[in-house]
Amino acid sequence: MVQTIVRAEPDLRDRAVALVDGCPPLWKIVAANEAALREGIELGMGGSQARQFFKVEVRHRSPEQEKAAHAALLDVGWSISPRIENTAPGTIVLDLAGLTSLFKSLENIAALLAERSATVGLRPNIAVASNIEAAIHAARGFAGITLIPAGEEPERLSSLPVKVLLPSTEILETLQRWGIRACGALAALPVLQLSERLGPEGVFLHQRAGGKYCRSLILAEPETCFTEELALEYAVTELEPLSFLLHRLLDQVCARLEARSLAASAFCLRFGLKDSVEEESNVKNKSSVSMMESRTYEKMLRLPVPMRDSKTLLKLLRLQLQSDPPNGSIVKIILTAEPARPRAGQKGLFVPDSPDREKLEVTIARIAGLVGNSNVGSPQLVDTHRPGEFRMFPFSPASEESAGSERREPRSCRTAIAFRMFRPELLAHVESREGCPFRVGFRGARGNVIAASGPWRTSGDWWETHGWREDEWDVEIHFDSSGNKKISRGAQNGLYRIYYDWMRRGWFVRGRYD
Amino acid sequence: MYTELHARSAFSFLEGSSLPEELAAVCAEHGMPGMALLDRDGVYGAPRFYLAAKKIPIRAHIGAEVTSTEGWRYPLLVASRPGYQSLCRLITRMKLRAPKGKGNISIQEVAERTGGLICLTGGAEGPLAHALTQGGIENGIACVRQLCDLFGRKNVYIELQRHLSREEEARNQAAVHIARKLDLPLLATNGVCYALPRRRGTLDVFTCIRNHKTLASAGRLLSLNSERYLKSPAKMERLFADLPEAIANTQELSSRLEFSLDDLGYKFPIYPVPDGESQMHFLRERSREGMIHRYGSSNERARLQIERELTIIEKLDLAGYFLIVWDIVRFCREQNILVQGRGSAANSAVCYALGITAVDPVGMDLLFERFLSEERGEWPDIDLDLPSGDQRERAIQYVYERYGKLGAAMTANVITYRGRSAAREIGKALSFDIETINRLTKLVGAWEYKDANDTLVNQFRDAGFDLTHPQIRKFFDLCLEVQDLPRHLGQHSGGLVVCQGQLDSIVPLEPATMPGRVVVQWDKDDCSAMGIVKVDLLGLGMMAVLEDSLQIIKEKYGEEIDLGRLPANDPVIYETLQKADTVGMFQIESRAQMSCLPRLLPKCFYDIVVQVAIIRPGPIVGQMVNPYLKRRQGREPVDYLHPSLEPVLARTLGVPLFQEQLLRMAMIAADFTGGEAEELRRAFGFKRSEVRMKAVEDKLRIGMDRNGIKSEIQDKIVRSITSFALYGFPESHAASFALIAYASAYLKCHYLPAFTAAILNNQPMGFYQPVTLLKDAQRHGLKVRPVDVTRSDWLCTLEKNGRDFALRLGMRSVHGLRAEIAQAIVNERAMRPLLSIDDLKLRVPAIQKSELTTLAKIGALNFIQGKSNFHRRDALWQVERVARLAGPLLETLEQRGECATEPAQECDAEKSNPPPTSTLSPLQIMTADERLVADFNGTGMTVGPHPMGYHRQRLKKQGVRSASELRGLPNGIRVLICGAVIARQRPGTAKGFVFLSLEDETGIANAIITPPIYEKYHLLIVHQPFLLIEGELQNQENVISVKAEIVGPLSISQAETSSHDFH
Repeated sequence: MVQTIVRAEPDLRDRAVALVDGCPPLWKIVAANEAALREGIELGMGGSQARQFFKVEVRHRSPEQEKAAHAALLDVGWSISPRIENTAPGTIVLDLAGLTSLFKSLENIAALLAERSATVGLRPNIAVASNIEAAIHAARGFAGITLIPAGEEPERLSSLPVKVLLPSTEILETLQRWGIRACGALAALPVLQLSERLGPEGVFLHQRAGGKYCRSLILAEPETCFTEELALEYAVTELEPLSFLLHRLLDQVCARLEARSLAASAFCLRFGLKDSVEEESNVKNKSSVSMMESRTYEKMLRLPVPMRDSKTLLKLLRLQLQSDPPNGSIVKIILTAEPARPRAGQKGLFVPDSPDREKLEVTIARIAGLVGNSNVGSPQLVDTHRPGEFRMFPFSPASEESAGSERREPRSCRTAIAFRMFRPELLAHVESREGCPFRVGFRGARGNVIAASGPWRTSGDWWETHGWREDEWDVEIHFDSSGNKKISRGAQNGLYRIYYDWMRRGWFVRGRYD
Repeated sequence: MYTELHARSAFSFLEGSSLPEELAAVCAEHGMPGMALLDRDGVYGAPRFYLAAKKIPIRAHIGAEVTSTEGWRYPLLVASRPGYQSLCRLITRMKLRAPKGKGNISIQEVAERTGGLICLTGGAEGPLAHALTQGGIENGIACVRQLCDLFGRKNVYIELQRHLSREEEARNQAAVHIARKLDLPLLATNGVCYALPRRRGTLDVFTCIRNHKTLASAGRLLSLNSERYLKSPAKMERLFADLPEAIANTQELSSRLEFSLDDLGYKFPIYPVPDGESQMHFLRERSREGMIHRYGSSNERARLQIERELTIIEKLDLAGYFLIVWDIVRFCREQNILVQGRGSAANSAVCYALGITAVDPVGMDLLFERFLSEERGEWPDIDLDLPSGDQRERAIQYVYERYGKLGAAMTANVITYRGRSAAREIGKALSFDIETINRLTKLVGAWEYKDANDTLVNQFRDAGFDLTHPQIRKFFDLCLEVQDLPRHLGQHSGGLVVCQGQLDSIVPLEPATMPGRVVVQWDKDDCSAMGIVKVDLLGLGMMAVLEDSLQIIKEKYGEEIDLGRLPANDPVIYETLQKADTVGMFQIESRAQMSCLPRLLPKCFYDIVVQVAIIRPGPIVGQMVNPYLKRRQGREPVDYLHPSLEPVLARTLGVPLFQEQLLRMAMIAADFTGGEAEELRRAFGFKRSEVRMKAVEDKLRIGMDRNGIKSEIQDKIVRSITSFALYGFPESHAASFALIAYASAYLKCHYLPAFTAAILNNQPMGFYQPVTLLKDAQRHGLKVRPVDVTRSDWLCTLEKNGRDFALRLGMRSVHGLRAEIAQAIVNERAMRPLLSIDDLKLRVPAIQKSELTTLAKIGALNFIQGKSNFHRRDALWQVERVARLAGPLLETLEQRGECATEPAQECDAEKSNPPPTSTLSPLQIMTADERLVADFNGTGMTVGPHPMGYHRQRLKKQGVRSASELRGLPNGIRVLICGAVIARQRPGTAKGFVFLSLEDETGIANAIITPPIYEKYHLLIVHQPFLLIEGELQNQENVISVKAEIVGPLSISQAETSSHDFH
């Protein structure tokens, strides 16, 4: 884990580094290099505590960087051998059979692996052995490059701790009780008696501890993803020519999906952006790749149901781009589709026709383009005393069952008086007498309070930094010039709900009773 | 004027967040004439509220919110004594038929007991709100009519609460309408849940705890706002300006509530005496018989003292009380249960004659007034020490049987939020993860002494938390807020109250968690304050040790020892005490006691009495220890504060050490009566009041002036009295404890195997961990044998070892081994020997793999195969096979105990003679350190060499001295010591000094850590199990310690040793 961070920050290579995970202030150390451990860092230690070790660099764990580092490791592996096993995060196995004719010797291959790893910022332990498990264990247990000649596996592995075999916690505890700490000691146990005690896992461990376990390589295959890429000779800045290109790519992706009887559940659209003209002259010596890496634009389009209709998809992408256009001219387009099984379903005979899902999604996307993504969806009340508090959930048409249950809701539950809430609330000017509002002004109009009821006080979230405290009043306002046409439409005589916000120290109008 | 008539305190357990005292104080601040406390389903906080109100003074009205079967609560106010009795009985009835903490009452049951009670219609949880929600105004009217039928029209008030909520106001409108329609009075209340608005946060946290939620997820379960605080009359009048009669009616209702808690009507039960006799006559007869038994028939001094005491007892009408305690003691004696009175009761010659106490107050010239006086008009307090465990339970059950379920009950123990419990609950409410909560809770507690650097900020920083972070800060503030607030009701360890007639009419009774136990809703202090007599039947671990020791000695040595007739002044005992070789001895085993013993050099029983009393905060704070010891050693002349005080202080060389001396000093110097002197002690005692102390001091000085005592001498006398009253120890109590200390020393010196077995069998108790007790016994020559399933019982036993006995460790010490499994092993073994581990598993099939593994790991299975070379790893190898579950094919057969292919007889034959299996394992024998680690992990101790013993040669080369070597070294030299830390202490009286006890294979060495050294090495000192300490040897009057200058960790063993910390 530490290596993944060092890879991103090469200055840390020879320093004590510890990684924390979790959310502050409750984060703790999850990994540390040798130098950090020597300084006194312990795994599980609190982040603030670790920061008291001034010689230790504390960084946050980054799953993205770990993933990237592992991908880089795979890249290195694939650059040597086409036959690779993606064993575990941070561990890969290469089939070197036949490669000596190309690279002369196994030593050379190991050295080349180390060298190429260094170019991507990694310093892996490398072990070469005649069987897969022996190589994995040797790489886990020995630092640097290890070559184990065929037949010497038992002797070479014998000194390694049994932990490199990654036994289950229960078996590891049993082995500790037995005083079995090294692979050699485990391999020396009689296998039949061991099987009586530890079962199949014991036998498996025994074989691996002795370096005798042989298995086939589980070949890794590149993920089944559908990516289409287009490098542009000329940068594109307008939406129309971009749509033309996108349509072409979408057609290709959808055709491939169709050939495999799949649809797309999501699309990832990435643009390589060219820097501005001024910057372009400064970086003209750089390769286009590095330029693209320096600035990218990415848009993820998640679909409510798997689709492969390129026209609909293009509309959705266009709407997304309209609401959030890329900040620069486009030099490269990468479109990746996440495959999924296409939707298969039949509506009930008596279910009323509802909007087509694809069309509905386009409509919602259009609305989102107008009002913003966070303002689209279904409102849901939050369990709190805070007045008017709600949150938005992605809109999803009610299923048949829930629609039915809604219909069954008794009419008596509906409120008799409607309350029209102003969002956002209106700033108000309120004059009070003996704690009771008697004049209210908002939207450029002022009026007298004919009747008032309140205050209705709520407060909460006191344990958070964003607590609230409000005094609400229900007031009947008679505006000074109610007949004046100049008065704003919102300021009509009537019953309003106003409130004093103790945190913001101001009056607001929450809404009006209809 | 407004009077608050509906308030909850924190005694509503998680539904209120202020103590009754705080409510009373705020009530007084507001100038309110009175207040009513209505806690949920109880009168838990009533005594504290009543006492606090009495001091201020305001009127303390009592009541309760009683839960109905429908879920709402009747807010009931007590108007008269019958009303109070009805309320107590209602609550008792609902509580006793339900599980602890639950219960409700039906309308029929309420109807039976409404006399003297006034019912309010309540707030959101009241009957009216419930009715309105269920069926609107018509239902509300029906509900109020029903209440009128139950309680009478004059005793129902329509309650209005205004917490600035729309829903509540709508309910209020309905309530006003109903009141007008039915012509019932309105009553304004605030449904108070806390005294001050800022306590709302605590209430919200309590709501989360109650509902198993976090603050983030509790939503509308939390308070709407902070309006449920105790509002001033002016605020309430403003709030109800539109309904002035609702305010005025509070005053009217308050005047109707005549009942006060000083009108409880409690009576102590009458002891049943033979026909024609009075209780007093019966007591006189028993006292006379006892006097002859204790003193003989011709001890005139004793006779006069007993007569004097009996006169006072008769005057105070306490004969019944003495007879009841005597009866309990008599029952214990008949049942061979060791019993001994402690505390001030030991000042009474009547108690001595009746066999309640074991100390002769006449011979020791103890002051009776410390126990009982005419002036005080209080019930005496007799505490009985019994062996903890079953024996004490038998005595308690005897009292229940004798006085009936509603005539006797245990006093409650109000469990309050303390450091760790508070931290844990608040951490959960704030959604902290378990690991963080564990780390935070570990921060809290720690040392008794806090210095300036022990700020919580520093403690939090050390544990890796940033107190400037708002969430952590909030956690910290809340932890402070909930300190001492009640959490739930527990049961006091031994306080029993008994009552003439029905105890449930005095205080509500509840079931305890322990089956067959009933507790009252008040703790012992509240009972005492309310004038309810209690008898404390306290469990004392050492009493159980003494009892068990006597039993073992009787069985193994064939000797019967009478603790009342132990040889006095046994030289072996005093020699041992003088060497401070007192590990395991009652009250004189602590590090502080050990450092005093070589200076005090006890030579007679009274020296032990002094020894028990001298290491107490009183003498230490009053700076009496050094003067006394110097005078004893002849290094300081003996003088007296005043010549007239010589008779009082002569025994303690002019230095006051006991509370009785304080009383006598006041009696002699200022002509106080015994009762006045005791009043003086109380004035300066724990519940100090400036006014009261000043008044008593003035009286004392006037008396001393009258007797011509100079002002500087007066100052000294006053100073010694004030420091002692708070922390001093009664001489009688010290003498009672000294008797037990002497008995424990006698048994340890003369019957070490039996004493060690008994003390190990009664763990946990005392100052040291079992391993320290064991190692100490081994150093004294006791042969200890390890746990062995072929020989060990559940408890430690004695085995013949030549002419003496060896101790066989019992299976009780094996961590995780269930008692029933150990008993099954013993039973099987009694039928025929266990032949192998397979045999053990076959015959005790319930044994779990973890239990077998632990037994194997600690060597308890080494002898089961009957082979001398069978070692722990061989056993572990076997266990792994034996304990392995059968595969799916044979699983059902194994569960049924069947063999699939063999006839039943053959199967049985195999069971009795399992086929020989290969017992040898390919595993290496455990190393010495591995055995040590296994022993400590499995039993917390080892019978093998001390961990330090393995490293002595190496340590010697480094110049490390063993504990035993230190004795022969001169004062002032630099030494290096090391050992397992067995005790860490930072007493409140020691100004930040830390005392460590390091144990090695030769004994215990003490180290003193100064505050700067502690500051420098505190992480090591607190966390390291083994320490290396360099410093100056201090050998003063045979008290040896090392003043640490450098502290370092020591890598000795992975063994998880344990220590006695921070007490």
